[in-house]
Amino acid sequence: MDFVSTGGGSLVDNIFLLFNAYDWWVYYSKKEEKNLAKKEREEKMYDQAFEEILFSLDETPIYADSGGDQHNDGRDTNEFGADFETLQGLECLNMEQAKNLLNEHVDQLSSKLHISPSLAKLFLHLNEWNVSAIVTAYSKHTNAFLVDNRVKLAATAALGASAIPSAAACTDILPLSPSSSTSKSSTNASSPISCPVCTHPLPGDHFRSLTCGHSFCQYCWARHFEVQINQGITLDISCMASQCNILVPEALILTLLRPSLHEKYEAFAFRDFVSTHPSLRFCPGPNCSVVMRARESKPKRATCNACGTSFCFQCGIEYHAPTDCVVIKKWLTKCADDSETANYISAHTKDCPKCHICIEKNGGCNHMQCYHCKHEFCWMCLGDWKQHGSEYYECSRYKENPNIGRESAHAQAREALKKYLHYYERWENHAKSLKLESALVDKIKSRIHSKVMTSSGTWIDWQYLIEASTLLAKCRYTLQYTYPYAYYMQSSVSHYYTVISHIIPTGTWIDWQYLIEASTLLAKCRYTLQYTYPYAYYMQSSVSHYYTVISHIIQQYTYPYAYYMESSVSHSRKELFEYQQAQLEAEIENLSWKVERAETTDRGDLENQMDIAEKRRITLLKDFHLSSFSNPTKLDIPPQGGTTVPISTKDSSTASIQSEGEGVRSASMAPLSS
Amino acid sequence: MANIAAQRIKREFKEVIKSEEVAKCAIKLELIDDNYSELKGEIAGPPDTPYEGGNFVLEIKVPETYPFNPPKVKFLTKIWHPNISSVTGAICLDILKDQWAAAMTLRTVLLSLQALMAAAEPDDPQDAVVAKQYKENPEMFNSTARHWTNVYAGGPNKNPDFDQKIQRLTDMGVMSHDARVALSTYNWELERATEAIFT
Repeated sequence: MDFVSTGGGSLVDNIFLLFNAYDWWVYYSKKEEKNLAKKEREEKMYDQAFEEILFSLDETPIYADSGGDQHNDGRDTNEFGADFETLQGLECLNMEQAKNLLNEHVDQLSSKLHISPSLAKLFLHLNEWNVSAIVTAYSKHTNAFLVDNRVKLAATAALGASAIPSAAACTDILPLSPSSSTSKSSTNASSPISCPVCTHPLPGDHFRSLTCGHSFCQYCWARHFEVQINQGITLDISCMASQCNILVPEALILTLLRPSLHEKYEAFAFRDFVSTHPSLRFCPGPNCSVVMRARESKPKRATCNACGTSFCFQCGIEYHAPTDCVVIKKWLTKCADDSETANYISAHTKDCPKCHICIEKNGGCNHMQCYHCKHEFCWMCLGDWKQHGSEYYECSRYKENPNIGRESAHAQAREALKKYLHYYERWENHAKSLKLESALVDKIKSRIHSKVMTSSGTWIDWQYLIEASTLLAKCRYTLQYTYPYAYYMQSSVSHYYTVISHIIPTGTWIDWQYLIEASTLLAKCRYTLQYTYPYAYYMQSSVSHYYTVISHIIQQYTYPYAYYMESSVSHSRKELFEYQQAQLEAEIENLSWKVERAETTDRGDLENQMDIAEKRRITLLKDFHLSSFSNPTKLDIPPQGGTTVPISTKDSSTASIQSEGEGVRSASMAPLSS
Repeated sequence: MANIAAQRIKREFKEVIKSEEVAKCAIKLELIDDNYSELKGEIAGPPDTPYEGGNFVLEIKVPETYPFNPPKVKFLTKIWHPNISSVTGAICLDILKDQWAAAMTLRTVLLSLQALMAAAEPDDPQDAVVAKQYKENPEMFNSTARHWTNVYAGGPNKNPDFDQKIQRLTDMGVMSHDARVALSTYNWELERATEAIFT
């Protein structure tokens, strides 16, 4: 990017900043899988960049001689920016065009299968308008297909091919037969039959039935359709018999329905057709009847030509990169459910220090009694009220143990809430800023207007300011949508599953199986690592402290390793342990990084990393876990309590050097204690 | 359409009167008004259930679009059941909602309700409190439902222990139904029920 520095340095600076922020944004939108820490860092820098642009936009001294040739680059990059985000090959259809398109599908299918258009519509609606899939399924297992699509009863289909001799014959049978043959044969056509719904006796030719054979008078059918259509049901209208789910095809509905309702029916049916068609989407803009058509349904930005509404084509809500459709829905639901409640809870409640139930203070007094566990405590310091006594009020005391009960479910919920609020506040803040900045654009426009009026440059000369603010809005928009993304980033295996399921379309499940293996391995290693900490904790504890906990260790865990470690005072071994622990930690970090970036990481690289991590884990286990079993005699466990002084091992370092195979196997089988 | 609704109800009414269930006193149907838009139904509590021996009264309202829309049915007799609200008597049953078919009749509705009383579906509850007790403490559920049947539906099984606990609360000025609801909700623990009433 070259700049012709003409007047005011601050102007050039502004543009630099602009492109700087722009680069950030491009970089940002492209990289989808990022690690949280890095993301936060970037968000921060990004925020800074915004503040600066915003500041400079507000404060830009407008120089009379600033040239118009400076912003060509800016426009180019803007166009480039639109490219990878906007859905390509998008068409805006009006209702007529969309109907024609749907009818093309219907004609195609009805001529291929020699079925009525009404039946073809039903099939298409139920099968995502996939003509070739319907043709294949229909010709392979006609009966099963008809049953699945609720055109034939399962029992009738079981009767065999005799019921449907050929596909061509279906045309006659399927849509409707005036009066079922059974009712005809049992009674005279002239003698009236009673309709099971309205109980009116009517001649046989007034009766209609679907393939299921349930026969009702045509007036009842019409009333049934009317009631259903008034409830917004069109394509899902089924037979009136109880437990019968056979669908009524359009042809019968339109024959029997009173004409004044035809328009309503067609409008509702069209709405339902568009909603099941994978490459059509109604424009979500208010009062906009445009149907958007794309070659493929992707979570990209689609903009309606008619009303200018911009939305994500895949899910139909606001465009939301880099967050994906599933996540944004989850986030928005969460925000709708939680935001107010969550804010209130965080602002007005504390957890009871004893039972950790959430408590709202409803009076002025700081002497609280928990409704749940009756514990009495001070609202300010959360300490026991007994200590507050009657002598003097001392709850300005420093909280000795603020982390008490951190592991409890309620404390965890509180933590989760904090995390949510952290992201929610930032998300909300950007949304607000976006609104405020749209006012800024107007302000800029009016400023430009006054400048042009006083002949300080032309409208084109000042165009770059508009571009800058447009870009600012765009960047902030993306930034806003990074927060739900960050919120849902987790380090658990389930997260990797979702990551993997997102990239599945580019390969088969088996192709990506190694990723699952990697994440499972990661979980396994992490688990081991987690349990090295209690180990390390007890290793470092002093001898005196050790005596107090010894009985506990022996009785509960029969895990005498720490005991053995401490007593041997083998510092070299401790160092070895810490070294290995750190190694495992590092490799797990690496693996975690690579698994999260599975799309960009080379498979060989990842597998190599898996191997390394697993090796580290095994080494650590071998040296510090299995070896303790291999030297059972060297571990002297006091018979009871913790009163006996531990006996140290002679050479613990040799114990750590275990060979694979035989040694390990025998070690694991050796008895734990003498 | 109202004409059809009335015609249908008229015929269904006759059908039920003649049916063998009425002969066995399992179900009963009564007209409330002349235009066949409101009826009173009665179901006998099915045998081998906590509702045995009870008589449950239902309010049946027939919409104008009947039989193309389902009748609106609710329990007038108070009942302790996972799919029936212990407060309003509202029923959660698929055939009274989206699974209704025009060919169904009031007789099938009453028989379905009787079947629902015999086999509750706690996973699709109307009353979450009852459903929770049904799943977690079936013994407690059975005795509570039996007690409610005794008190509200004329069932034969008295529960002196429960009656005594209710008495304790009514002595404190609590309405007996409120006391029963609170005690039933808290598995007949007097202390917790008292706490719930007075806070």
